[in-house]
Amino acid sequence: MTETLLRLDGVGYTYPGGAGIRGVDLAVRAGEVHALVGLNGAGKSTLMKLVLGMLRPQAGSVEVLGAEVRAAGPEVWAGVGAFVEHPLTYGELDSTTNLELAARMHGIARGDVPAAVGDVLDELDLARYARVKVRRLSAGNAQRLGLAAVLAHGPRLLVLDEPTTALDPAGIITLREAILRRAAAGTGALVSSHHLDEVARIADRISVIAEGRLVGELDPGGVDIERAFFAKVHEAVTA
Amino acid sequence: MTGFGTALAVESRKARASWTLRVTGLLLALGVPAIVASLVVAARGGGTPEARAQLLAKLGPEVVAADWHALVLASTQVTAAASVFAFGMGASWLVGREFADGTVPALFGLPVGRRAIATAKLVVHLCWALLVCVALVVVLAVAGLALGLGPLTGATAAGLARIVVLGLLTALISLAAAVVATLARSVLAGVAVAAVTIVTAQIWVFVGGSVWFPLASPALWAMHPGSVPAGALALVVAFGAACAALTVEAWRRLQLAR
Repeated sequence: MTETLLRLDGVGYTYPGGAGIRGVDLAVRAGEVHALVGLNGAGKSTLMKLVLGMLRPQAGSVEVLGAEVRAAGPEVWAGVGAFVEHPLTYGELDSTTNLELAARMHGIARGDVPAAVGDVLDELDLARYARVKVRRLSAGNAQRLGLAAVLAHGPRLLVLDEPTTALDPAGIITLREAILRRAAAGTGALVSSHHLDEVARIADRISVIAEGRLVGELDPGGVDIERAFFAKVHEAVTA
Repeated sequence: MTGFGTALAVESRKARASWTLRVTGLLLALGVPAIVASLVVAARGGGTPEARAQLLAKLGPEVVAADWHALVLASTQVTAAASVFAFGMGASWLVGREFADGTVPALFGLPVGRRAIATAKLVVHLCWALLVCVALVVVLAVAGLALGLGPLTGATAAGLARIVVLGLLTALISLAAAVVATLARSVLAGVAVAAVTIVTAQIWVFVGGSVWFPLASPALWAMHPGSVPAGALALVVAFGAACAALTVEAWRRLQLAR
């Protein structure tokens, strides 16, 4: 049976204003790309924040790599690569230094850092920017670098919130290949996106979130995924 | 504490690349000697009679003597005020920049815990403050020699050493800025605390308040060592330790609900 890398059971979190998520059950298995799609404010980022401990669930439980998120230790987090809201990069440092620091923070042994950084610079086509300060990079290249920072340590679980927002078409393809390569090697990925066509190309499963609830799944191979998405959202909003 | 060594290496590297820490440190290490050297020159008759009279009123008759003792005393007074702002700004920036730059979400979900990250930031702050204070007294000594104040005596060296200790005690006090910058998630909130600390300490000294007030006792001790008991300085250390503990705990409990 395929190992479950991420599991949410009945998870709920409500912000003081009333927004949030409720009753969310979701799983990501090894080798699976699980996409989360929804409109702005549907609860995608909140869900990801709960997975990473940025918020504590008010209901239900979150398990990351078999450990309850509140009790997860360094050995658990060393197996996770996450990009939510902002990458672990600093404008005053160049790309290589940022990746080296991120690699250390993700638990790579000091001696293995140069090789890991070199590999991911090549993989995400960033070698020409290796000594460029991040503040001088375009938004797309800065985002590519941020993604490189969460891929370098070979995580077993990826959590990526809108990873293609600033990427150009070439960057999107590069990232897609990087995710699919890792999934083929057993990495599980939870990826949120607005881009239905894009997630249809990489996802094994697509969950739709609306009004803070998971309201169904889309068939990644379906012929009119956009229509199916809006039908599910409409159903949730009018229910 | 999980990953403290890694966090310290990472925070040190970030600090070395920081223009904020570099410029603030240089302004303090060079600015205080420049101000004091100009005061000594003025006290020697380099300024107008009105300026000399104002100097006398502000810094006292000892400074007007324009000798090593005057240089150390004036440096102590200027450093006491300037270092509160400089180190408060440094402490505030070190923790608050993660909120200002939006990088704080990326500090979750890592094998290096946020307690370790916050502790590393505070250690880097104290090391930076020590470095700046040592540079400041070295520049002061060079300035005194260049002004022809004669050879350094033991008493002068002790006065310069007190300036280093004053700076370190001030760096501990300035950790209050780190607490507020964390709770408010804002660099400017921490800087505001530094400004309020200066004003409070200055008023306290001006009105002759108790030497046991932690915000004022380091400056009083550095100027008149015999007048401040060791317990009052221990209270400064305790204040800094409490601020450090509050900062680290706030980082450990941090949630991104807003």
